[in-house]
Amino acid sequence: MSLAIDPITFEVIQNALASVADEMALVIMRTAYSPVVRDTMDYSTALCDREGRVVAQGLTLAVQLGAFPDIMRCVRRDFGTDLGAGDVLIANDPYGSGGQHLPDIYIIKPIFIGGRLEGFAATMAHHSDVGGLTPGSVAIHATEIHQEGLRLPLVKLYEGGRECTTVLRIIAANTRTPVQVLGDLRAQLAACAVAERGLVQLVARYGAEALAGYFDALHDHAERIMRAEIAAVPDGVYRFTDYIDGVGETPTPLAIAVTVTVSGDSVGIDFTGSAGQIPAGINCPIAMVNSACYCAIRSIASRAIPNCEGYMRPVTVTAPAGTLVNPLFPAACGARGVIAYRVFDAIMGALAQVIPEKVMAAGEGGPSLFSIGGTERGRPFVLTEVMVGSWGARAGRDGLEGVSNPAANLSNQPVELIEAELPLKIARYGLVPDTGGPGRFRGGLAFDREFHILAAEALFTVRADRRDHPPYGLAGGGSGSPSVNHLIRGGVDRALPTMPMEGFILRKGDVFLHHAAGGGGFGDPFRREPGRVLEDVLDEKVTLAHAAAAYGVVIDPVSLTVDEAATRRRRAGTAAAAD
Amino acid sequence: MSRDSAPSRIRCGVDIGGTFTDIVFLDGRDNVHTCKVSSTPDDYSCAIVAGITTLLRRIGEQPAAIELVVHATTVATNTILEHKGARTALLTTQGFRDVLEMRRLRIPVMYDLQYEKPRPLAPRRFVFEVPERLGPRGEVWQPLDEAAVRGIATKLRQTGIQAVAICFLHAYMNGAHEQRVAEILRAELDAGVFITASSDILPEIREYERASTAVVNAYVGPIVHHYLSRLESALAAAGVAAPLSIMHSGGGVMSALAAMVRPAAIVESGPAAGVIAAARVARQAGLANAISFDMGGTTAKAAIIEGGEPAKTTEYEVGAGINLSSRLVKGGGYPIKLPFIDVSEIGAGGGSLIKVDANGVPKVGPESAGAAPGPVCYGLGGEQPTLTDALLVLGYLNPGYLVGGALAIDRDRAAEALQRHVAVPLGKPLLEAAHGVYQIAAATMTRAVKAVTTYRGRDPRDFVLIAFGGNGPVVAVEIARALQIARVLVPLAPGVFSALGLLLSDPEHEFVQTVFGRVGSLEASDIAAAYARLEQEARQALVAEGLDPAAVAVARAADMRYSGQAYEIAVPVPSGAIDLAAMARRFGDEHERTYGHRSDSDSVDLVSIRALARATRGERPTPRQTQSGEPREPASRLVYFGDGLGARETTVLPRVALAGRVLEGPLIIEEYDATCVVPPGATARLDGDGNIDISVGGSA
Repeated sequence: MSLAIDPITFEVIQNALASVADEMALVIMRTAYSPVVRDTMDYSTALCDREGRVVAQGLTLAVQLGAFPDIMRCVRRDFGTDLGAGDVLIANDPYGSGGQHLPDIYIIKPIFIGGRLEGFAATMAHHSDVGGLTPGSVAIHATEIHQEGLRLPLVKLYEGGRECTTVLRIIAANTRTPVQVLGDLRAQLAACAVAERGLVQLVARYGAEALAGYFDALHDHAERIMRAEIAAVPDGVYRFTDYIDGVGETPTPLAIAVTVTVSGDSVGIDFTGSAGQIPAGINCPIAMVNSACYCAIRSIASRAIPNCEGYMRPVTVTAPAGTLVNPLFPAACGARGVIAYRVFDAIMGALAQVIPEKVMAAGEGGPSLFSIGGTERGRPFVLTEVMVGSWGARAGRDGLEGVSNPAANLSNQPVELIEAELPLKIARYGLVPDTGGPGRFRGGLAFDREFHILAAEALFTVRADRRDHPPYGLAGGGSGSPSVNHLIRGGVDRALPTMPMEGFILRKGDVFLHHAAGGGGFGDPFRREPGRVLEDVLDEKVTLAHAAAAYGVVIDPVSLTVDEAATRRRRAGTAAAAD
Repeated sequence: MSRDSAPSRIRCGVDIGGTFTDIVFLDGRDNVHTCKVSSTPDDYSCAIVAGITTLLRRIGEQPAAIELVVHATTVATNTILEHKGARTALLTTQGFRDVLEMRRLRIPVMYDLQYEKPRPLAPRRFVFEVPERLGPRGEVWQPLDEAAVRGIATKLRQTGIQAVAICFLHAYMNGAHEQRVAEILRAELDAGVFITASSDILPEIREYERASTAVVNAYVGPIVHHYLSRLESALAAAGVAAPLSIMHSGGGVMSALAAMVRPAAIVESGPAAGVIAAARVARQAGLANAISFDMGGTTAKAAIIEGGEPAKTTEYEVGAGINLSSRLVKGGGYPIKLPFIDVSEIGAGGGSLIKVDANGVPKVGPESAGAAPGPVCYGLGGEQPTLTDALLVLGYLNPGYLVGGALAIDRDRAAEALQRHVAVPLGKPLLEAAHGVYQIAAATMTRAVKAVTTYRGRDPRDFVLIAFGGNGPVVAVEIARALQIARVLVPLAPGVFSALGLLLSDPEHEFVQTVFGRVGSLEASDIAAAYARLEQEARQALVAEGLDPAAVAVARAADMRYSGQAYEIAVPVPSGAIDLAAMARRFGDEHERTYGHRSDSDSVDLVSIRALARATRGERPTPRQTQSGEPREPASRLVYFGDGLGARETTVLPRVALAGRVLEGPLIIEEYDATCVVPPGATARLDGDGNIDISVGGSA
């Protein structure tokens, strides 16, 4: 703690900042219109200092929270002195404006107090539709960004307190869901007003200069904690390559190669060797790759770290231009999230070599994304689902199931609300037995979700992954089960690619069934306590056959007790056979 | 002490805490009598009966003089926290066995790869899928397979299931399948098996929340039933023939019988009572808007009162721990979507531990020293300083004793611990460090107040802060200043104020029914008919408890949202003809007030309707406290008020000494069960009801 900084005031200010960030996030959750924002909570909020550095964030979507610095740099660059009280900026363009993909619209409000710029309110929300090839604007088969919908470079949505109706009218004309998009933008503006009020109060209480000093101290404080955590990791170079299955009917695997270099109290993450960008909508602009890296490194910390930008300072990201992880204009990027989750998995895989006790085996691979849209009784409808659910196992703990991906604290949408609002039936949503990667600690079970189309016709897209490259296990643990997409029409079951290069026309009676991937296991499954295997059998998470085959645990099918002797024999026999 | 020969009609309030059971009597002359006895966790009714008997003897009355017993209990909450509920099964629609385990996916922490989520109260092995399916309008997509239900009943019998929850998709629109299953199970299972159908406890859309509510109800059902039956017999054996009522989380009381059927409704009965008492003080003081602020040993709680009524919510998770962000970051506990008084809670109280962390940053709470070892100054073995120790060192608390002299304390010990654990690591003089700790605690508690005000679009400056609990009046002015609140009221008997609230609440039942549709496409006559049914149901619930139908009033409300939003706002619906357009306008007003924006061109959904039936007992005059405020000789001591003000010789006086005067701070008002700090710049007087009325003033 620097001498000019009073530790008590410091703690009181931190408390106030956390309160502002919570309130911003809450306002969006409560007032947003589209399910993807309100239920899946695919949005982020931040309060920034006068330099545009994040000093507080609402805890929503981990993998995106580190993306604000990129757009804030663009704001400072493009609007250095051309900002005034009552201005509000809007943008979504990943090329030149720091965006992530087109559905993620940023609303940024500079906060002027006494005529001076004292900070920024920044919000980002995944909007339900911004035009492009398919409802939901995340078509994998887009080959360049111009097919993905409306591009908004950083422009003013308000100027001197006056709404630029021109911009709003352009947006409304370019989305399939104008009511939802405009409603969600209003929610973002309301969150900015909350941030403004909070910062005004802080400046009134502490004075602008003193407050700026405390913000600096906060960044330094976060940096110090992060550095201490990194310093505890043995120096070295740790490499790992994970894969995206690739796109279309005959996919080519796409490498996400990462080299993690720990050196003292800083860490470098280098993606040299990763696949080049491709003509499909999964290229991941650098803002989100950076964010995924910060998220992964932060997740290995055992201490709480303030939600400000300082913790990012010890982390350096290198991503060669023209790759999947730093695509060049005009690469399409609507469904780019899958790359960011794989970045997280790859970094975990690298760090597992040195700090296995702090990481986890691969989870389901990030959210699967479905969009179903069409017109029913003259009214357009769009459902965007972002479905997650399974963690990999950890040293000493099973992987969780029925939980959000650690890099994305998302929520599911109630089946009853979907059915009440849309011409869809969900016939099944639950866990699938035997899908968790076997291990001394079991990976989380996969989930499935089955949609029946009740509308005459609907356009459908899906983005999944981890069919050909299922979630890896660690320390001898097995992989989780692979993901599968089924399209069932007239009783004929067709397996869809994980990332089809087309939209599908679904008709009434068609069934889409998605199996997500299961989480990877940790440690030798033959060392799993037989009692834990029995518990899983009793809960019907593991079948008797799988208990014997994967864990070497023999359970009497009538008494449902462990046959200790048979288990010993089986485990010894297989181990001997393996030698 | 008031005694007279007129026939007494005593109302008795019973509030059980972890350590003590508080018994409060309100006699026929509106005098309050209180008694604290040690709780008896093996059988709480022992302490209750012992306390009531002691208090009756003290005031020279017979058990027959008690006309009413109102009880706040933590039995339902503790059952869940300790995972000691019934062996519970859940029956779901086929395809949705994992509705409980999938939850809403979100978890309350981020960047924590070692997280473990709460165990389902009905484990997967006891969750059974039933072939049946309803559509979203309640239409039957697949008929109920009764043979399959009988097969499940056999398994339930074999596994010794004690409680069953039934939650089918869209049962909020049509409960027939659930009801039929309940009927079959009642016939097939032992009479003692507790059965809850989701359409009975919560006919409201959203399957996870409804299933969770039904499962919580079933899980605690047999335990609450056993507890309340035992208490009723113990009271009867002691000669107390008065009916037993239970405070529910919504701030009303319900009969013990009703609580046995809907035990999920009573999990937050204790915190609700304090807010009810604060609402009463607000109404009597002529205040429309007030903030109820209650600070005890481990937590501080805040709630708002608007138009004389506490604000309510239906979003609550039991067992989620104390987490202010719980409104945003959910998933740590078990949701119960029933009416709750909207109380935000934060882990800062007198017992909160003070630490300076490895980075040199001081922290207050949320860990607490609890009752044992307690603060360092108690001399019971506590070594880590607590907020109470800091308050003592600053001079806010009496250096000789606490709780009216019942507890001798050691100031030097507290000072030494603060010096070593806080002042030295911070490099500050003792008093400055202690004051800093106090400011951090106040900042933390300020967040609890913001969570119910600014987070909901309310400006705290429009409210008066009503502070109670043993420590509430110590910190109230500091919090008021942080939020620019101009006025603080400290009611009589602040230390037993919550227990008093038990005696001031009315019998009340709230019922909800999802109707779901766009306002433009609904028929007013259908909605009116739905309200009529619901009002009748709510009214009937009170009449069934033996209340006079003429004393029952029903208030209507509607949960509405803009089409597409996920969260509703409850808006009042005036009696008389249903005017859907007016309801939509009212919703727009409320949306604008809460979130700062509205859109009259967007369509509005009516999601659910509500009816709240309340039997008013009629306002009685302000109770008079008989034990506290014994006049004491005015005294003074040195009290530290922070930078710039420093240590001031400060008058210490009892509440009664304020009568008829307006005194300027600094002042300390000491009473039997609480201490009130009036810092420099603030002024205090007594209002007509005996409340300490503090003008906060500008100086901070």
